[in-house]
Order: sequence, then C-alpha cells, then structure tokens
Amino acid sequence: MEKGLTVRRIVIAGVLGAIAILLGVTRLGYIPVPTAAGNATILHIPAVIGGIMEGWGVGMIIGLIFGVSSFLNATVPLFKDPLVAILPRLFIGVTAYLTYVGLKNVNQYVAIGVAGFVGSMTNTLLVLGMAVIRGYMAAGVAATVAITSGLPEAIVSVIVTLAVVAAWKKLGTSGKQKSKISGDL
Amino acid sequence: MTQPIVDIRNLSHIYMQGTPLEHRALDDVTLQVAEGECMAVIGHTGSGKSTLIQHLNGLIRPQSGTVIINGLDVSQPKVDIKSLRRQVGLVFQNPEDQLFEKLVGDDVAYGPFKMGLPLEEVRRRVHWAMELVGLSFQEMKDRPTFALSGGQKRKVALAGVLALQPKVLVLDEPTAGLDPLSRKELLERIRHLNREENLTVIFVSHNMEEVAQLADRVYVMANGKAVCDGSPRQIFGNEELLRQHHIGTPESVDILYRLRTEGYSINPESYLPEEAACEILKILKR
Amino acid sequence: MSAEFELTRNITIGQYLPTGSIIHRLDPRFKLAAFVILILAIAVCNTYIGNIFAIIMCVWLFQISKIPIHYGISGINPAIPFIIILAILQLLFYGGIANGGAVYFEYGFIKITSESIRLVLVSAMRFVEVIFLSSVLTLSTSTTELTHGMERLLGPLEKIKFPVHAFALIITIAIRFVPTFAMEMEKMMKAQASRGADFGTGEWWRIVQRTKDMFPIIIPLFNVALARAEDLILAMEARCYIPGAARTRFAHYKAAGKDYVAIVLSVVISAVMLGIPW
Repeated sequence: MEKGLTVRRIVIAGVLGAIAILLGVTRLGYIPVPTAAGNATILHIPAVIGGIMEGWGVGMIIGLIFGVSSFLNATVPLFKDPLVAILPRLFIGVTAYLTYVGLKNVNQYVAIGVAGFVGSMTNTLLVLGMAVIRGYMAAGVAATVAITSGLPEAIVSVIVTLAVVAAWKKLGTSGKQKSKISGDL
Repeated sequence: MTQPIVDIRNLSHIYMQGTPLEHRALDDVTLQVAEGECMAVIGHTGSGKSTLIQHLNGLIRPQSGTVIINGLDVSQPKVDIKSLRRQVGLVFQNPEDQLFEKLVGDDVAYGPFKMGLPLEEVRRRVHWAMELVGLSFQEMKDRPTFALSGGQKRKVALAGVLALQPKVLVLDEPTAGLDPLSRKELLERIRHLNREENLTVIFVSHNMEEVAQLADRVYVMANGKAVCDGSPRQIFGNEELLRQHHIGTPESVDILYRLRTEGYSINPESYLPEEAACEILKILKR
Repeated sequence: MSAEFELTRNITIGQYLPTGSIIHRLDPRFKLAAFVILILAIAVCNTYIGNIFAIIMCVWLFQISKIPIHYGISGINPAIPFIIILAILQLLFYGGIANGGAVYFEYGFIKITSESIRLVLVSAMRFVEVIFLSSVLTLSTSTTELTHGMERLLGPLEKIKFPVHAFALIITIAIRFVPTFAMEMEKMMKAQASRGADFGTGEWWRIVQRTKDMFPIIIPLFNVALARAEDLILAMEARCYIPGAARTRFAHYKAAGKDYVAIVLSVVISAVMLGIPW
C-alpha cells in the first residue's frame, strides 16, 4: 500500500467525512433500536469504513470530522466538552483498521465484521470513559450505558459496515447466492 | 365524460413559506389526465415539474387546491397513503442509484414484499415486471446488482416500481444519461406499457424527440404555472408559442420551420419524422 | 407533513450572518486561534466567578459582532431538559465521588455536597459559554475563511511532516459535499417511500431487522458517495493534483493591529478566568 495521503485517501476521507456530518444533522444517523438513549447511532460508521478501506490515517481524520461536528451540533453539555466529543472519536477508525488488518487473512467477512464491532466499542468505551473522568457521569451509570447502548450499537455497526464494505469491495455473491424469490414455481 | 384518473385543480405550493427564502414552486396548476393517456410534462429547470409530480403519490401534500388520484383525495389528511403509492408508481431521475439489495430479484421484490403479499404473488409480480422491462427472469434474478451496466440497472429500478402494479406510471427524465441504444429500447418499453398494458404514463422530459415520439398530450410549465396544454401537433405546430416560451423542438419540426422561413409552403404540424419526410418530399416533387 | 422529506432545507451548518462587524473582519487565523484559547480556558475553568465572567464576555462578544443574542439562546433552548436531568443525576449521585467540600444532605447513597453543587452549576454554565462562543464564531466566519484559517494555523505542523494542506483539502471536500449528499438522501428517501418503504416498523427488539429497514437509504447513500469519490479522484488525477506539492494561494490574509489585540485579549480573559480562585 502506498504511504502517506494520496489523492484517493484525501478524497475518500472528505466524502466519508461529509456523510458523518450529514448523518449527524438528520435523524437518519439514529436507528430506533432499544438502547438507553432510545436509538443506536451510526455516526461513527463512516470512520470505521474509512479505516477499513484506506488505513488508520483516513479513519482518524473522519473521526475528527465526526467529533467536531458532534461537538458543534451537541445539545447536551456532555458533548459540548471537546475532550468528550472530539478526542475519543479519533481512535474509532484506528482500532477498526488494526482489527481489519489483523484478521483479513483469516476471512474478509470476519475481518470487516469484527472491525465494525471494535470500532463501535472504541467509540462507546472511550466516550463514556472520558465522561467519567470529566465528571459528567458516575462510573456505575457509565458501565450500564456501555452495556445497554454500546452492545446494540456495536451490532448495528457490524451489520451496516459489512453491507457497505462488502458491496463496495464487490465481495462474494459468486453465483452461489439465490434471491429470496428463487426456487421452484 | 369518464372521471380522469389524475385530477389536479388549482394546486399551489410554496417552499419555505414565511421565510426570506420563500419560493413559489407551483401556482394555481390545474391538470387532468385520462386513463390510458400518455402525457409529457415539459418546462425549464425550476418550472415546478418535479414539485408537481411529487404531489401525484403524496410525497408532497397539497398546500392549497386538490389532487384526486383514481378517486383518492390526497388533500385529505387521513388518505391511505400506502394505497395511493401502490396506484401511482414514481420513478425518479437516475433511479439506478436507489438499488440496494445484493441481488436483482430481491431488489425488484422489495416493494411487493413491503405490501405484505404472499411469496407466490411476489414471485409472479417480479417475473411479470422483469420480463416487461426486458430482463429475463430466469437469467437475471440471481445476478448481483453491482455487476450490471447502467442501462440494465435502470431497467431493474423500473421493474422495482412496476412490480407494485401501479395504474399510473410517473417518470422523471427516464432516459437522461443513457446511451442511444438503451434510450431507444427504454422508450419502446414505456410505449409498450402505455399502449399494451394500458398504463397511464406521465413523464417529464427535456428531450423533444422523446416527447414527440411518445406523448398523446404535452403540458408546458413555466415559473410554476401551466402555460399550455395540447397535443404535440398543436404545440409543435404553433411557432409563436414555441418561441414565446423557449420550448425546444424536435429536429424534424426545426427543419420544417426553416423551410417555411425560406418561403416553402409546408404544414409545420407534421411533427413526426415520417410526416415531416412526406412534407419535404412534396416540396421536392414540385 | 409536507416537510417530511425536506432535509436540505433544515440543515444549518456554518450559518454565516454577515453584519460586517469588527469580529467579522478579523483575520480568520487569529480569530480561530483566539477561539481555541478561550474554549480551552472554559474547558479547564471550574470556579463560579470565572464562569460568570466568561458568560459576560460571551454576551459582550455578541454585542460587538452585532449578532442578535437570540441566535445563541436558540442553541440552548432545546438542551434545557437534558441540562435539568443531568443536573439532577449529578446532584444525586456524584456527591459520593466528588470528595471534599461541606456535606449538605445525606440519605442512603444520596449525598449532596458543595462540590457536587459546584459541578452541576459549572457544567451548565460551561455549556452556555461554549454554545455562545461557537455561535459567534460560525455566525461571523464563512466556511471558506474557517478552512483557510485552520490551514494556516496548522502551518507550523508541516515541519513535523503533518500534511496540513491535504488536511485542509479534506475538510473542504467534506463541507462541500454535505449539501450534495443531503439532496441525494432526500431523493433516496422519496424514491424508497414510493416503493412502499416505511422506516422502523419492525418489532422494536429486533435490532437486525430494524437496522435492515434502513438499508434502502444507507446503502445507496454510501454507494453514491463512494462513486462520487471515484469521479473526483479521477478528475483530480487528470489535472495532475499532487498532494503536498508547493502551490500558490488564492486568498491572502494580512494581520492588522486588531488581530493582535484579539489574541492578547483572549489570553488576558483566559488568565483572569483561571486566576480567580473562587
């Protein structure tokens, strides 16, 4: 792989950063599944995808864009603190990338899925950890949120990341898969 | 007279009402389309065409005026919007962008499944819709969508809407961005749907050849208003009108007008290429 | 109801409000630097007087930038319920963790101390300050100026091989594409609704199903975005864009007296905020 910021990396980071911003300002970034907050966010997924596709640098920059946009759009004091809103987000794409690289020789699907999970958990754990350190939340509350929100979010993240990256990398579907309406008439 | 299937009366729509960016997109539009008709809506960018067609399946609700589709009054807040969307199939510009399933068959089946139809019926509809747009059901249903060409993707998207078995098919620039061959084929498919399957077709287009070829009636819009409504023969035969509203003309009409300016006596209403050819032959034979 | 799909019209990022005030005319590099200094000071300051002082300073900033203060207040209003809930939670449960200070009330695990009250009030004030300050910044600076300012401010980092220009370009691309993708998304939502899509109607506990309900929009959105990216990459490479190559600048900024005054003022204000011991 080429080193440094190539034209490709610059553009992919910018475009996925745009999606991170867009998901944040519309309700599309929140999937209504049972969590403590009433929905699971997918705002961190562009950072995960960027990390998987173009490396940790791209993942980190998208994370930064996500963080700054969440900082600027925040309506709760917790995310009006740059140390909570921005700093933890830098690492989402990095851990996702490392996971993907570590596992990609095992199986592409597994690598992408686990990267989606790890990236999402990075977001949850670092944000909550920072919230505890900065005194917005007691450790017990944070642990509860990590389980009730973090796990559903990680599951959502795995599903979406797999769907997007597999489609883009044109993985699988080598004539083996049948559509739901296939079968004998 | 029978009830028109699409009946729009005095429809107005203002975007961002009450802000400095207020914009009147539709201004007192009245339009009737009879069942089985093929209607072209033409006009420049920003003339309100898109806003108009989005009223047809309730994506935009009337702010003032009424929209009645096959007896369903869209202005009523309690109207069954799902049933409305089954009756009016809306195909957006570049519909190939909206494919999301991995396999062609699944994508076409999305709408029917959402209607809660049993598997047998879904399969029957997907088969019907795919064959209708010229995709072999047997061959294509298990193909991955991303491996298709642009023209094929557009057919899949069209089949996805047809699988809802709508009574009215609305298309926004159906052939934009296609290569000439795919364009010709798609137009033939649409004509077939209109003539043989008796689907009411309403389409937006900037391509006047297309309008001349397909439409029974042409509806011209400018600045949110209807400026005229008539058969292609009436519209393309009226040079004054064409010039006043900067309406483009098919190549054939263009030639006829130029010949007339040169002093030849010809009938500019002969807008179809074959008719225009006859007119030109008449001059040559003299 | 008719606004159901009108995404593009509701998005406000970088809502620039040109009033031509002295704040608007500040060199974006210096304005951004002053903003960063003040935000950091606010993040660290946890005294009552320091924060009251910071709020007064924010109100004063609105005045000299000739921006009606209701722009700032409208950013706070939707957050009031959250602030109250958070305040109650902190008040009830944080006393046990924030050691020190006088204990005012104690019942079971509930313990209210002077420290936990301070925490509640200071974090509420901090929130107001950050909202006000970032409102002034985004209302008085266009996104172009912001990106330029950021690029120049980060300039020195080039010495340690940080790709400042590429970074600024990424931000520019991101901001540039938000409205484009918003329009795509609006179209996608309408197109799928026309096919009978309804979002989030599966049973609420079926996470996978609920997520897949969003696929008709999310998947095409990413696909369109990545396809656009490929086009842009091709276009940039065809024009021989080389990342990191030396290039001339279109916009030139020249610092004037007022810019230095702004920086000095922000340092002084920060020092006062952090210096006050109560």
